Amino acid sequence: MSIEAINEQLLRAIGVGVALVDLSTMTLGFRNDTFAEWFGPQDNSSKLGELFPAIDMDEIQKSLRTSGRYTTEASFKLRRRTMTVAMEFNRAAQQGGSIAVLVCQNITRIKELESMIDSYSVMVERNTREIKREKDQVEKLLLDMMPRSAYEEYKSFGIVAPRVFEPVSVLALDFVDFDALIAKHEPGVIVSELNDIYSALDRIGEQFGCQRIRTHGDSYISVSGVPDAEPEHAMAVANAAVRFLRYLKQRNDSHPIRWQPRVGLAAGEVVGSVVGVQRYIYDVFGPAVSRALSLRRVAAPMSIRGDAAISEFLDDTFDFQDCPAVDGVKSICVSERSAAPAAG
Amino acid sequence: MSKVNTVAQSLFDKYGGFSTISRIVMSLYDRLLDDDTVGPFFDDVDMPKLVDHQTKFISALLGGPASFSDDHIERAHRHLTVNDAQFDQLKVLVNETLSDFNIEKQDIETVLDAFEQRRGLLVRADDVN
Repeated sequence: MSIEAINEQLLRAIGVGVALVDLSTMTLGFRNDTFAEWFGPQDNSSKLGELFPAIDMDEIQKSLRTSGRYTTEASFKLRRRTMTVAMEFNRAAQQGGSIAVLVCQNITRIKELESMIDSYSVMVERNTREIKREKDQVEKLLLDMMPRSAYEEYKSFGIVAPRVFEPVSVLALDFVDFDALIAKHEPGVIVSELNDIYSALDRIGEQFGCQRIRTHGDSYISVSGVPDAEPEHAMAVANAAVRFLRYLKQRNDSHPIRWQPRVGLAAGEVVGSVVGVQRYIYDVFGPAVSRALSLRRVAAPMSIRGDAAISEFLDDTFDFQDCPAVDGVKSICVSERSAAPAAG
Repeated sequence: MSKVNTVAQSLFDKYGGFSTISRIVMSLYDRLLDDDTVGPFFDDVDMPKLVDHQTKFISALLGGPASFSDDHIERAHRHLTVNDAQFDQLKVLVNETLSDFNIEKQDIETVLDAFEQRRGLLVRADDVN
């Protein structure tokens, strides 16, 4: 077998489609077996433009004239499969340059894989968005249960180390005759009222640098100075307390249920930590919390009772009046100082 | 609403995630196109659409990042007339494909059971030959 014959056999057998194009007539001449399998057997009169109607013939001729090379892609159906080939035309130096060699690489699988990756990416991106949405919801829930710094610590280390915070101030509020109100009204009405009131107290408290720690029935506990130190912690809880009372007094004027809040304030130290393993919640406890609860118990409706420590931190925007000791601890009634009468 | 992937949530991870799934998708794609019983359904379907369909189908079956409600499956196939023989053949092709990738027999059965449970969504009573 001659070298030419061996070459021709090799050319016919390779997995790349090869054909010769007569540039003067834009017809296809020789084609190897792979090319014939894709585009039909040899037919010297078959026009390139008829076989690849989507390709601009003028563009091929122009490009081959100037650079001697032209590349493009073409898709076609082979049975029911969509095939894609990368086509490369190279002008041959022989025959006065009137012949071009067309080489077609089968890139069908690459195109199919690209489509699959596109499809998969869309699925993954959608899932990622859903996961992020869920994560944000979980984060929001956790931030409702603990301060951000405690949440960050929990996220990084899986625990929140208990810490002593001092000095801080604690505000404890509840409502006189709460049990009687429960007996008198539908549970749904009471819950709705508490939701409304606690949301308002949260907003007022935040304005003054207080953070609600927990509610338990009609018991509302807020602190200032936890977890971030707050030099004006006592002023924060006292200012919040007088506005809590003012808000509830105004609210009572326009609502059928008359809430009678009482408030205990205390300054000192507390321990802050996430308590619980599975049903965890950020909590503060300690002497200042206990004193605030005791003082609240003896406070008259619509009034604020504080300990001696808190009065030391408050300025002259508040009035103080000595009250009977509570559990052996000195107590004072705290109220907002009335504005001086206008001159003249 | 039941989801296709609830029974096989872990198979996707168990068999190597996307790396394996991509090969399974391509293998099933080849089989479907070469098969004269179910292949004609795809005669006029664009390649990207068909590949997208197969990717979601396999991901859903094996518990990957796709899940389809029964309503969705029923709606997507409503325009097709699928008979029992074609559904059976599709099961055979899925079985052959998964077997080629060394998926355990028990897991293949789980997948085929989930698949079989949805026969009624594709093969409607009035279409049965």
